[in-house]
Amino acid sequence: MAEVKVKPEVPDPMDIETRIIELCHQFPHGITDQVIQNDMPHMEAQQRAMAINRLLSMGQLDLLRSNAGLLYRIKESQNASKMKGSDNQEKLVYQIIEDAGNKGSIWSRDIRYKSNLPLTEINKILKNLESKKLIKAVKSVAASKKKVYMLYNLQPDRSVTGGAWYSDQDFESEFVEVLNQQCFKFLQSKAEAARESKQNPMIQRNSSFASSHEVWKYICELGISKVELSMEDIETILNTLIYDGKVEMTIIAAKEGTVGSVDGQMKLYRAVSPLIQPTGLVRTPCGLCPVFDDCHEGGEISPSNCIYMTEWLEF
Amino acid sequence: MTQAEIKLCSLLLQEHFGEIVEKIGTYLIRTGTQPLRMIISDTGLLLDQVKKALCVLIQHNLVTYQLQKRGFVEYEAQCKRVLRILRYPRYIYTAKTLYNDTGELIVEELLLNGKMTMSAVVRKVADRLTETMEDGKTMDYADVSNTFVRLADTHFVQRCPLVPETPESPDAPPPPAPTLVINEKDMYVVPRLNLVGKGKRRRSCDEEENGEHKAKKQKQDGESSEPPPDDGIYWQVNIDRFHQHFRDQGIVSAVANRMDQIFRSLPAGYNIVKQVLDQYLTLLADDPLEFVGKSGDSGGGMYTVNLHKALASLATATLESIVEERFGSRCARIFRLLLRKKHLEQKQVEDFAMIPAKEAKDMLYKMLSENFVSLQEIPKTPDHAPSRTFYLYTVNVLSSARMLLHRCYKSVANLMERRQYETKENKRLLEKSQRVEAILASMQATGAEDAQLQEIEEMITAPERQQLETLKRNVNKIDASENQVDETIFVLESFIESTVKKP
Repeated sequence: MAEVKVKPEVPDPMDIETRIIELCHQFPHGITDQVIQNDMPHMEAQQRAMAINRLLSMGQLDLLRSNAGLLYRIKESQNASKMKGSDNQEKLVYQIIEDAGNKGSIWSRDIRYKSNLPLTEINKILKNLESKKLIKAVKSVAASKKKVYMLYNLQPDRSVTGGAWYSDQDFESEFVEVLNQQCFKFLQSKAEAARESKQNPMIQRNSSFASSHEVWKYICELGISKVELSMEDIETILNTLIYDGKVEMTIIAAKEGTVGSVDGQMKLYRAVSPLIQPTGLVRTPCGLCPVFDDCHEGGEISPSNCIYMTEWLEF
Repeated sequence: MTQAEIKLCSLLLQEHFGEIVEKIGTYLIRTGTQPLRMIISDTGLLLDQVKKALCVLIQHNLVTYQLQKRGFVEYEAQCKRVLRILRYPRYIYTAKTLYNDTGELIVEELLLNGKMTMSAVVRKVADRLTETMEDGKTMDYADVSNTFVRLADTHFVQRCPLVPETPESPDAPPPPAPTLVINEKDMYVVPRLNLVGKGKRRRSCDEEENGEHKAKKQKQDGESSEPPPDDGIYWQVNIDRFHQHFRDQGIVSAVANRMDQIFRSLPAGYNIVKQVLDQYLTLLADDPLEFVGKSGDSGGGMYTVNLHKALASLATATLESIVEERFGSRCARIFRLLLRKKHLEQKQVEDFAMIPAKEAKDMLYKMLSENFVSLQEIPKTPDHAPSRTFYLYTVNVLSSARMLLHRCYKSVANLMERRQYETKENKRLLEKSQRVEAILASMQATGAEDAQLQEIEEMITAPERQQLETLKRNVNKIDASENQVDETIFVLESFIESTVKKP
């Protein structure tokens, strides 16, 4: 029998790559080197490495690290097409931004740390990506000079823009003030009505309470707010009234399902009058004097020549 | 004793007792307990003067003495007691509201004289009241005694400690200083006196203004020269009882302010139906203020007044009011927020108070510089690097209260100095007006004509009259404000005292 020399089949490089991609599709969580080896045992390590490298540079494979070793994962096809024109570094930066999952945004310094690229490179890449409309820069309310980046189509997070009280990074203090006064007036009129009714004291007190839900409804009906306000927003406004000492709050247990209850509790608010009249010390000039500590008999500033006292006496 | 307190004490002593007493009093407050020799040598006054001054101070309970083991007596000044002089007007006013004019005069006499026997008080008060009554009417001693007994029963006046009855032992020399004792039970026992008589009206004549003449007159009026039956039993004003009363008043008015709608519908008198009473009590107990607490159900419900909490709330309200008046209502919001939440970061303060960041920062720093709020550092790393440390703002009520109390003392001292300055500036004018009045009075007594009287009156020109009016108004204003600051002092002092643990 004639010796038939079996020529070792040199697998086509293209075939290897398609095969690897098929394998990746089979295992979407990623495949290790071992899996590829098992599938194509006749392939040499060098050829395998070359194929994998080509796929990586084309952006069709993701390289991940796990406890077992290196993992290769198929990348989303649409992104792969987008990335065709960009180079490695840009892809890396884009990936980092995408990965900033929970807050949806990331600071430029963090990008630099994660990618280990120099600052100038980062800036260039970020400008590139912005012009390609893949990412955008959002100014944060916390530190207005800090720029955070996020994917183009994501909505900026509440903590970054500040929520209902901020419009374009400016805290709307007049808006808050107006809401403050309106809520207080509502609670005051409710307390007045309760007082007028002159029923027995228990009923009077209970009817002078208003739940946060009632206040919320009232404010919505007033329509003074362009932005829609949630019940929590109203509760923060009512809390500021408590800190002003004009309103007090109690929590009662409410049945689940009653209007306005949260977790079986309801917050009730009531307008109150202050505990004491302005105290004696502040009725004298000394109580409010800005140079109090410098004042002593015989000095430049002394009780005998105090101009605040003179004005006050002429009052 | 702080500088401010010492200054205030010396001002009060000077105004009420004069230079010499003030010198000795201030010396004792500054240096603590001293024997007689030291006082004489350090103040440079004569023995006689020092003795008399010490007598005055002891009579008014401002200085106490103690027999030391080595056999000599040391004197100690009670600084707190001296500061109470500021509160005398309030005591007298309270007595007036509770016991009418009679009570008012009794308390006034006792305060002015330190210690007095009951019969002396009754006599003096009856005389004073008789003067203010219409012609022909006199004040009966019995009425005055009744009011006195009532004051003693409600513990507003109390007996002074007495020399104990020791058996006479001629061998042992009498101790250099007697130790005074008083039995708790006897403190409010009124001696049985048979005070019969009516108040005597002073005949209006020239020597009225001079007190010495009046005393001579009384003696000549045939007062018995025997010692009155209650000689040796002296009475003094019970300051602590008055303080209790003020404190109760403060709490009641605070609760009334908070529950105003309910108080308005309360029927007058105590005829409340039990049901309604129950409801009110429940309301008071449930109120977030927590002044009243329910501590059990025995007897239909046991309710207690939480005094400590009440005092703390009053003091906190005072602090808040001071912050509000000095820095503005936004600062007050931040202050109340910090009081409730105890410790907060800069960012959290802005979020909760809904104040823009720049303004919030500005206000926090201003309050920090005045020591109303303080910073608490919590380091993240062992090297305490500022960029890696948490800084929390917090309010310490007790230390703020102490600081404000000190400020109150200084304010009162300032007000008193200003008042004295104003009076001194216009001394010439005051003397002139006094002379004119004296001339007028004497001329009226001798029956001068209207024309002459008018001539004398015109000695004071119209602008001078205006000046006098202004002066009187200013002095009254300053006086009133001293009393108002004293109210603040009272609230803050009660609070600080209640936090100090008694051993």
